[in-house]
Amino acid sequence: MKLATIGVGNAGSKVIDRMVEFEQATGRDLCRHTLVINTARTDLAKPEHVPEDRRLLIGETHKKAKGHGVGGDAAIGAEVAQTEIDDIRRIFDDVEIHEVDAILVSAGLGGGTGSGAAPVVIEELQKMYDEPVYGLGLLPGKYEGGRPALNAARSLQSFVNKVDNFVAFDNDAWRSRGQTIEEGYEDMNRELATRIVTLLAAGEVDDSEIGENAMDSSDIMRTLEVGGVSSIGYASTGVNTPDDGLLSRFSDEEVSELESTDAAKIKGLVRRAVNSRLTVPCDVSSAERALIVFAGPPSEISRKGVESARDWLEQETETVDVLAGDDPRPNSDTLAAVVLLSNVTDTPRIKEIQDQAVDAQNTIQQQEAVREEEIESLITDDDNDLDPIV
Amino acid sequence: MKLSLFGVGNAGTRLVDQLLQAEAETGRNFTDGNVLAFNTAAEAFGETEALPEERQILIGDTHSAVNQYVEPSQDGPDTDAASATQRDSAGVDGDPELGATVADDELPEIRRALDLVDDTEVDAAMVVAGFGGGTGCGVSSVLLEELKSVYEIPVYVLGALPSTRESDERALTAARAVRTFVPLADAVLPVDNDTWARSTTPLDEQYEEINEAIATRVLSVFAAGESDPGVVSEMRIDPADVMRTLDVGGLASIGYSTIEVDNSDEGLVARLMQLLGLADETPDNQTDAATVKRLVRSALESKLTIPCDIESTDRVLLILSGPPKDISRKGFETGRYLLEEKTGTVEVLAGDEPMPNASEITATVLFSNVTDVPRIDELQERAVTYKQEQDAETEAIDTTTAVEGATALDSDTSESEADDDDEEQPFEFHGDGDERSENGDASGGDTGTETEATEDESESVDPDSAEDEADTTAADTDSDDDTTTADDDTTTADDDETEKEAAATPDERE
Repeated sequence: MKLATIGVGNAGSKVIDRMVEFEQATGRDLCRHTLVINTARTDLAKPEHVPEDRRLLIGETHKKAKGHGVGGDAAIGAEVAQTEIDDIRRIFDDVEIHEVDAILVSAGLGGGTGSGAAPVVIEELQKMYDEPVYGLGLLPGKYEGGRPALNAARSLQSFVNKVDNFVAFDNDAWRSRGQTIEEGYEDMNRELATRIVTLLAAGEVDDSEIGENAMDSSDIMRTLEVGGVSSIGYASTGVNTPDDGLLSRFSDEEVSELESTDAAKIKGLVRRAVNSRLTVPCDVSSAERALIVFAGPPSEISRKGVESARDWLEQETETVDVLAGDDPRPNSDTLAAVVLLSNVTDTPRIKEIQDQAVDAQNTIQQQEAVREEEIESLITDDDNDLDPIV
Repeated sequence: MKLSLFGVGNAGTRLVDQLLQAEAETGRNFTDGNVLAFNTAAEAFGETEALPEERQILIGDTHSAVNQYVEPSQDGPDTDAASATQRDSAGVDGDPELGATVADDELPEIRRALDLVDDTEVDAAMVVAGFGGGTGCGVSSVLLEELKSVYEIPVYVLGALPSTRESDERALTAARAVRTFVPLADAVLPVDNDTWARSTTPLDEQYEEINEAIATRVLSVFAAGESDPGVVSEMRIDPADVMRTLDVGGLASIGYSTIEVDNSDEGLVARLMQLLGLADETPDNQTDAATVKRLVRSALESKLTIPCDIESTDRVLLILSGPPKDISRKGFETGRYLLEEKTGTVEVLAGDEPMPNASEITATVLFSNVTDVPRIDELQERAVTYKQEQDAETEAIDTTTAVEGATALDSDTSESEADDDDEEQPFEFHGDGDERSENGDASGGDTGTETEATEDESESVDPDSAEDEADTTAADTDSDDDTTTADDDTTTADDDETEKEAAATPDERE
């Protein structure tokens, strides 16, 4: 697939940056156009793989943003994007849309810019182009608090309604000890980039060979076209190439897998992809459609294994709409299986975020209701004897 | 964020000077030289270290009200009293109405001065003033109105509330200042000197220390991220975060806590091992998350700039400053969540200020729109009691003969007294009566204040009501030797002679 990718806000931009990094490192060519949009100048300077002229600062003239972000306020994020929609349109002028199959908009849903501005951008893209627009959304963790949960719950509605499919990523599922502020969400972003690029780059004629069972872009798009929320599973294993066999043996815990038969290995990989951390935890059986991509040296991909893996996933997802195909990467030293579960309707984290959001909204409304009154009562004495100076 | 600072009065000038010193020391260039100080007396102007002379604007020195106000004191009814000569005649004598009048009359001068500050280069403006002073309260009120009408950026107010050891008059002025500033400003950050002072030491010896502590906290919030760390962190605090937190208005308070971080070689080796994949997640990392959470907790429980019930807060901002490689992200998240749990609000923004070479981690917590603030209630009670006493005195005087000095101010102030149905100029008399009690203070901080104050009162008001007054006034004024630094309107006995001349002809003094 060929993609135009747009990162909105800090988290969304970082993901795009990591996607480009990953595809460059693995010889893929997925992101034909990259663009990042942000309300904070400092954040806009962060991406390393997005050209300067593909970074758009919005809200510089907005009274409250002024190029310093929107302070987590999704309403301002949306307002700013709406106001500067012409600038946003203009930056798409040099995007040759006939060269791409789809557009991917990535955003963090907890912050103000991603949750507020991204749906505006998506709406505009849907008006401008016939190509499908996919969303890639990072869901805030529980500990990020009530306001991010509220932003996310509200933004999620806009996202899911406006995009052709929404791939969700749950920060909480990927939270681990030992990460510092400096690293931030780098590990998570890399994990997500690996999954999304491995999935969507399948069927692309870059340095890959066309195989008999090659996955085609249209297969992926067909799986995504049902809409809703999707989750991606991923697992990889080292393949024994003479050069680096020794090294990979040290670095890869899946050494034992190498000894099993090819077919069993393939099936095991898919099991692991689904049962290991999905981008958003979900009940697999609630998926409407599913798709498996095997990326790696064609010699490693056993037909029998693919078939049995597909059968297994059909049972797990309780749907017959399961596609499986290859993304031949002769020079790759890993074999990866990536599983797309499209339109999963049973996702506990989204429910949790919604509950947290409802509580947050109630708290916020209660505060707003008494705010003026409480300030007034604080600054005046009981009988209002004290008068202001001016 | 970038901030322009406007010091008003002596206390405000000194605090701005302190903020500028802190700016220079920490390398957080948050004002970029966008500073001004306004005063009606030159006192604090002579003492500044970091505030450039050309940014110090003396107003009201030629103002007729100021002069007329000073003059009667010399041949007024209390000429004979020792206090009269020692009276602080500089500035507006603690009278906020006069302060406001002077500022109103000098608006062209003020506006000219404001041109020196570029409001398009800053994210917000901050008026810094002593709430209890005549200049701090009066001039600030007018300046605040002016700034709000010409600026698009938020305007905040920072300043000290008078201590319980200071006079009732100052309590009244401060209570009215709160009443005035809060509706005008985007947020008000009062500092409670009582919380910060050690009770055994005279207040005026502690102001520098207190101001330093306050400056540290103010910079931690408003200057966060202005030191150009050379590293970019993912969760860096933005000016918009600070502004959104303060956007709800009302009063705000700051908590602050800091811990040393282990920057030793051992730590480095451990990190290197980890990088090479040769070590598992070290227990260090786990304690690290707990450490950050503990740090946030201790900031939450720290001595706040103004004590308040943190459950009454509307929005919260958490800033962690320190080496980003040493701050656990999990600790950061749980610390933030702790704030949400403890304050009961979901509007908790958090970010970090990357300081790669710092040897400590600092947690600064900004509580915005706190509405349960006992000190404000106390201040109001004291102010109301004092005002009622003054009103009673005024009534008594009204029935006899008015004090001459007061009449000069009638026209300026009567309208603000709308609440008091039958009294036309009660406030002038506060000023007047109070000024007399301040005389007592200034002269007798270390000596027999009680007698003087009593005399003072009885001379200025009807003897009958003055008897009742004397006790309260004297009690207050006993310890009221702190005004040197906090105030815009008084000086120590030593300077009095000079100050008096200075007030009359401030230019010559320079």
